[in-house]
Amino acid sequence: MASSPRALLAVMCFLGALSIFQLTALAAFAADKLVVYSGRAERLIKPVLDEFQSKSGIQIELLSSGTTELVNRLQAEGDNTPADVFLTNDAGSLEHARELKLLRPMNMREVERAIPSQFRASDNSWIGLSGRFWIVVYNTTLAKPDQIKSLLDLSQPQWKDKIAIPNSGSEYLQAGVSVIKATFGDERTKQFLEGLKANAGTQVYQKSSQIVEAVAKGQVAVGIVNHYYIYRHLAAQPTAPIAALMPDQQPGGMGAIMNVSGIGVTRASKHVDSAKLLIEFLVAQAGQKLFADLDKEYPLHPDVKADPALVDRHAFRAALVPLARLAELREPTLTLIEQVGLR
Amino acid sequence: MVTATRFNAPSPLQWVSLVTAACLVLPTCYIMYVALTAAPAVWNRLWSTRIPELLWNTLSLATSVAVTTLVLGVSLAWIMVRYEFPGRRIWEWAIVLPLAMPTYVLAYVYAHLLGMGGPAEQWWQSLMGPEARLLSPHSFSGVTLIMALDTFPFVYLLARSALLNLNVSFEEVARACGVPGWSTLWRVTLPLIRPAIAAGLALVILYVVSDFGAVSLLRYQTLTYAVYQQMTGRYDQSAASILSLLLVVMAIIFLVTERWFRQRSRFYQTSGRYRTSTRRREGVVGTALITTYVLLVFGASFGIPALMLIQWSIAAISQGAVDARFFGFVWNSSILSALAAGSAVLIGLPLAYLASRRPSRLNLACLQAAYAGYALPGPVTALAVLVLFTHFAPALYGSVIVLLVAYILHFIPVGLQSMEPALQQVTPNVEEVARTLGCTTRQTLRRVTLPLIQNGCVTAWVLMFLQTMKELPATLLLRPVGFDTLAIRVWLEASEEYYQLAAPSALLIVFLSVPALLLLVAKDWRGRHQGVVT
Repeated sequence: MASSPRALLAVMCFLGALSIFQLTALAAFAADKLVVYSGRAERLIKPVLDEFQSKSGIQIELLSSGTTELVNRLQAEGDNTPADVFLTNDAGSLEHARELKLLRPMNMREVERAIPSQFRASDNSWIGLSGRFWIVVYNTTLAKPDQIKSLLDLSQPQWKDKIAIPNSGSEYLQAGVSVIKATFGDERTKQFLEGLKANAGTQVYQKSSQIVEAVAKGQVAVGIVNHYYIYRHLAAQPTAPIAALMPDQQPGGMGAIMNVSGIGVTRASKHVDSAKLLIEFLVAQAGQKLFADLDKEYPLHPDVKADPALVDRHAFRAALVPLARLAELREPTLTLIEQVGLR
Repeated sequence: MVTATRFNAPSPLQWVSLVTAACLVLPTCYIMYVALTAAPAVWNRLWSTRIPELLWNTLSLATSVAVTTLVLGVSLAWIMVRYEFPGRRIWEWAIVLPLAMPTYVLAYVYAHLLGMGGPAEQWWQSLMGPEARLLSPHSFSGVTLIMALDTFPFVYLLARSALLNLNVSFEEVARACGVPGWSTLWRVTLPLIRPAIAAGLALVILYVVSDFGAVSLLRYQTLTYAVYQQMTGRYDQSAASILSLLLVVMAIIFLVTERWFRQRSRFYQTSGRYRTSTRRREGVVGTALITTYVLLVFGASFGIPALMLIQWSIAAISQGAVDARFFGFVWNSSILSALAAGSAVLIGLPLAYLASRRPSRLNLACLQAAYAGYALPGPVTALAVLVLFTHFAPALYGSVIVLLVAYILHFIPVGLQSMEPALQQVTPNVEEVARTLGCTTRQTLRRVTLPLIQNGCVTAWVLMFLQTMKELPATLLLRPVGFDTLAIRVWLEASEEYYQLAAPSALLIVFLSVPALLLLVAKDWRGRHQGVVT
């Protein structure tokens, strides 16, 4: 009887020793790798990084998580951060990271040649890689495109229980509301959010893919999502009864709400040269195509064509609020969102 | 003489246990400090926006789950104790199995089964016409159902042992006095097992209040989920701390209630002279009804979800989902859990040892301090550890150590629950004999005490290992680079509705949890219960 627990104890000690060994080994490995903190879903970034890894021979360690969570993490880790590169889907978060001096200003001619200046930080401490639009997805049997001119129309009572929205922690929603707030002012934005809240009811989703899914199934008629979720769903299920609608295109209208995915090198990075190689890879034409197409986004390099399934980029207007302003707008936007009590 | 000097000079062990206890309560105190010193504007904002809704959501869910588990748990316990039917001995055990299924696994299976266009709805629509709708897993009733199916065994276990220990003469007296059958149940039997039921319900409520996995996958807003959302959606952690404070207060209330009821239930332990009830055999119809009911509950809570997981796993494996990467996740999970469980045993042992050998007020307080983690839901533990490390040891942030600290803090109570009785069972006489025979303190410890409590320590280790393996929110928030675990994979894949890809990890977690669950339940299968936490 006594021998079996003793044996187990021995196994436990062995496992313990083994794991300590493994952990130290891991730390040593990580020291040579380029560590990427990514707020972009693993599925959408890993193939690009794998491609870079096989081309350059630079090993990459990826941590995928929430964008804001990663900014908090970078800030907490400070100079000790293992991260070399920060990659997210929200310019506001990148600009915020820049203001916190977490990112390193970069001087790269390749970047300045490839990416138009409105999609970069003034000191290039973050660089936009692809464009995304926060637009309307509708079920073609339940809604007609002429019913919606502007995002603000969705707060009308006729859409009660017919719309699905992302939860208020979503950076897209926060950025979107910031743009609306900068364009229309506090009062109308508040009315818009209150209408949205009443109309969505319990149809508040963690993931935009679920919103598109709900629209495709007819659970709701309309949803607000980033454009690529629609095309991604259509690529998997070409017969799904959904379509994209670019809102706010009427003369004098706000224009479609735009955000960019972008990348920055951390101030504390010890692998700046490898990080530069990654950025060069991503802003070059081939990298732009790969990065944008994987997620069906719009490449920012003017000479790279978007996926032909998407609405032609020249066929619609984007909102005029500069991306860098998203950072300063965020705190008041969050307060407004909470005042309204969005979930 | 020897004892006198022992009590006067604090031994190194005493210091160790004091420091450990301080470290274990520190995060909780710090988070409370952050919450209480938060700007009044943040408090105002939360009170006027989120808190009323969140409190209502949390409490109403806890209540409705409690009522559902009450009905399910007590009726099943009654059937198992009072009736004889085919396979009863197996069912008695099998009905506990849902506890092996983490809530996030059950939630994701049901999100598919009951979801829009899912198999259940298709079947329902083929019967009732294309417009028919089933209850949505994301609705209040849906979440209630799923949480209740996962937690009713708590009530079942406690009600069952209370019924088994019930002296049937009370009922006979009632009947002899002319009280009809149903009335006996209401007026005699149920009041007698009420403390056990209440203790079970308190566990259920604590579980619901601190659950993160199910509510996050089903998008039901509770306080615990809101803490996570505030943490991941805001740059400033004070709002999350305030919500955490509310949660901790709430959890403490439930814990105290549970303790109180559990202590009261001891009054009902009858002496050796009691008689147990005999099991009745019903006719064909009765037996068929009973079997159907048991089968239905088992199927809904464990059978069908387990079959779904197996089916999805087979599909996922044939698509090559179980590759080197998958085994990497298994490895990460095992290493983290082994390390956490190992350190928790080492840390917990001095506390439990001192509290049982030298039960001074100080030592007992140290032990109670270690139970603080009990009152902390996963996201709150994560927040507490995170805030503490960011302020005082930012260099360690993002390392495995932070995650380990959170695990230890969170699960050491589970371990102590096994180590404490093991130590109490070793009578001090044995140690004293060893001392008289010339062993030093250290030799006694090594050659007498430790071998005797080995079993208890191994049980504690196994339980903490499996708890850690299943842990979701703290892992999600604190994991170091390149350290995804099985639980993380289930949650990540399931929340993007890649059900098949999530299945192998989920199945492995369930598979590993079953032996630990049986170990726990078998510990006092017949008698009084120590409280099961999974």
